[in-house]
Amino acid sequence: MNTSAIKPKASASDLQSAVEDFEALSVEAATVVPQASAWQRVKANTGVRIAGIVMIFLLSIALLAPWLGTVDPSLFDPASRDLLPMQKGEITTLDGEWLPHQFYMGSDSFGRDIYSRVIYGTRVSLIVGAATALVALAFGIVLGLVAGFVRPLDGVLMRIMDGLMAIPAILIAIALVAMWRGSLLTVIIAIAIPEIPRVTRLVRSLVLTIREEPYVEAAISLGTPTWLVMLRHILPNCVAPLVVQGTFICAAGILTEAILSFLGVGLPPDIPTWGNVMAEGRAQFNQYPHNIFFPGIFLAVTVLAINILGDGLRDTLDPKMAKRG
Amino acid sequence: MAAENVNGATRTHPPVLEVRGLKIGLPANADRATAVRDVNFKVGAGEILCLVGESGSGKSVIAQSVMGLLPNALPVQKGQILLQGEDITHAPLSRLRELRATRMSMIFQEPMTALNPVMTCGDQIDEVLREHSPMSAEQRREKVLSIINEVLLPDPERMVASYPHQLSGGQRQRIMIAMALVLDPVLLIADEPTTALDVTTQAQILKLVLDLQAGHGTGVLFITHDFGVVAEIAQRVAVLRLGDMVEIGDKEQVLRRPQHAYTRMLMGSVPTLRTEERPQSASNAAVVLKVDSLAKTYKDKSWFGKTRIVHAAKEVNLEIRRGQTLGIVGESGSGKSTVARCIVRLVDPTSGSIKLGSDEIATIKTRALRPLRQRMQIIFQDPYRSLNPRMNVGQAMMEGPMNYGLSRDAARKKALELLGLVRMDASAMDRYPHQFSGGQRQRICIARALMMEPELLVADEAVSALDVSVQAQVLKLFEEIRERLQIAMLFITHDLRVASQVCDLLAVMSKGEVVEYGPAHQIFTNPQHEYTQALFAAAPGKHYSFGA
Repeated sequence: MNTSAIKPKASASDLQSAVEDFEALSVEAATVVPQASAWQRVKANTGVRIAGIVMIFLLSIALLAPWLGTVDPSLFDPASRDLLPMQKGEITTLDGEWLPHQFYMGSDSFGRDIYSRVIYGTRVSLIVGAATALVALAFGIVLGLVAGFVRPLDGVLMRIMDGLMAIPAILIAIALVAMWRGSLLTVIIAIAIPEIPRVTRLVRSLVLTIREEPYVEAAISLGTPTWLVMLRHILPNCVAPLVVQGTFICAAGILTEAILSFLGVGLPPDIPTWGNVMAEGRAQFNQYPHNIFFPGIFLAVTVLAINILGDGLRDTLDPKMAKRG
Repeated sequence: MAAENVNGATRTHPPVLEVRGLKIGLPANADRATAVRDVNFKVGAGEILCLVGESGSGKSVIAQSVMGLLPNALPVQKGQILLQGEDITHAPLSRLRELRATRMSMIFQEPMTALNPVMTCGDQIDEVLREHSPMSAEQRREKVLSIINEVLLPDPERMVASYPHQLSGGQRQRIMIAMALVLDPVLLIADEPTTALDVTTQAQILKLVLDLQAGHGTGVLFITHDFGVVAEIAQRVAVLRLGDMVEIGDKEQVLRRPQHAYTRMLMGSVPTLRTEERPQSASNAAVVLKVDSLAKTYKDKSWFGKTRIVHAAKEVNLEIRRGQTLGIVGESGSGKSTVARCIVRLVDPTSGSIKLGSDEIATIKTRALRPLRQRMQIIFQDPYRSLNPRMNVGQAMMEGPMNYGLSRDAARKKALELLGLVRMDASAMDRYPHQFSGGQRQRICIARALMMEPELLVADEAVSALDVSVQAQVLKLFEEIRERLQIAMLFITHDLRVASQVCDLLAVMSKGEVVEYGPAHQIFTNPQHEYTQALFAAAPGKHYSFGA
């Protein structure tokens, strides 16, 4: 390299003015790309759109159940037993009156209207799904924050969670329902408990990553108390993966409830749920497959829609976990 | 714009690579329409052309387009890429596969991720030969050993059997170079090959590339953002700005008589290695920070096996007075960041004393530490991770003072004032970090730290992640702040040029120890310790003075 020829300094003022031209030449100022907000990205995702429409449809069915040509799902009429879909029959109201009724999805062996039971069952399933997700997230977030932040408790807490995860979820749920007797509340709690370790693990891992971020260290340097660091800096940055996880728990919760009811250890048979309807139709499956077919379709479509919604949310909110495309 | 400068010797070779009127598109939602446009250049046999530019200038895109590695979102819209006269712009994949490694090859910035972690280095070089040459196993093995010898790796037999993680960064990059050159390609593309390396390793790798290139007569397209590296390695230089090639010419011409205003601005922004004494070294002002035999030891305890002890820092003694800047320089793993983090108590020191004014903070309990925290603030390297993405700038800036009881209104007023000080618009208050560029974010971080009116400001590689022109501005800002507020500053950096610009005192660290400590100008003019001397000797482009 030529060491002798030191740069004939372009006059100092020349270079100085070049530096001051910065604003005009600045690459930086030109390169800030306005990003689409999370909500805009979510809205643009095809999966989210389709699944969202399905979910809105199911939600309105659940809310509008009484006005959709249904009768009280617990009503039955011995004269209308085992009707095929679209057959006409009659149904006895609680006052002992007979009403003519069209059985869109046929009737079961007690003469109950499967259509009404399936529509009302949508309510139960959606409530169970949403409530399970909320309960599991609430406990999981608290436990995960504690495990991620209070290091001495981490080991103990996570070993308990490992223990819980070692037992099949459905067995824990069956045992808990058996202990407490089946009601909406107990079933929700029984389904949520096995999901808690998963959320705890997720939150803990997020906390452990995010607490190393410089902005968290900056907050500590700014004298922010630990609990505020958790609430203000760490938790809001966990939201995206938690929303995604929540949708999957919701879908799993709906499935588990159906399984429990089908096995006869879920909600009492008088509460119309898809699982209960299917359980009652099981014995007559060969002659009257519609008893299982219609609630099964609803169950499958609901779970599929929620899972697609979750996938879409993951792709848009949580790019790190997104599938490679 | 990008007229080829025909002058003399370099023109006698036929070009191994010729790029004509290249235009590469960007996806619709990008900040501009094209990644690069109307780019023309030639690389002759045995010639090294440096592509220089800041981030987002499109320099890597050009390299990828030559290798045929462009993602589908970046289509070549116009122009031609000729490799030894053959148009490969839209060559089918099968043809590109034949050409890669045999006629053109590429080395990357991060050798750890460019190498396959589950294959030995020998197998990875062997794979190239197996795919592209008819050699027998015996010949291949000989060839692998000879190329490893050629890239000056010690103990070739062991290297062949090593996995990438068992080698150092510099050794890995040598393996990459061996892999790239084993079939003697006519063109080597090097995409920031030394950016991830320490300065002394960088010097060795640059020398290796120069030697090998001269020996094999390879044409090299060398991509870098560092004018120091350009000065060391280039024969010709092309400068890119936002996808436009604004200047191309011989090194001497571009570095000494830059034509385009952008090139002048870039070169003016490169900090000069300053060796004269800085005027305002206040040697009798109050001592703000005194560090005595500070040590930090990490114990790696495992259930089985023995405990590993790492001395991240030991026997560190420092002192900073009001209005003074102390620089800590050293390579990665030297412990300089550990010292900074101990001082602001983001990690607890193992032993020693840290005195902030008259308060001992090395051993103080967390609760008692809180009131002291506002007196020392830290600014981090990565401006993209230093701000909570869910909080707007106003909230981020007001958080600190409000933690210590300042009212919202007063905090807001102060935040507006400080935004003015760091040359940001008041409208920034209600915007979120992702709406700002890296340099702007770093300004916000500085303003946030100053909100606390600290006595001590610790800057941990605070300008290292910034483009050179932005770096110059932020350095100027630091200087201004120090003069106006008379803060004591601890400035951690790996860049000697930067250190020479801002530091009154200098501590050189190596392997956890301070090997040299004293007034910066003395160390820069007359380094005593051999490590310091080696560090200075390795600094790229020291024969050129860039800055104003």
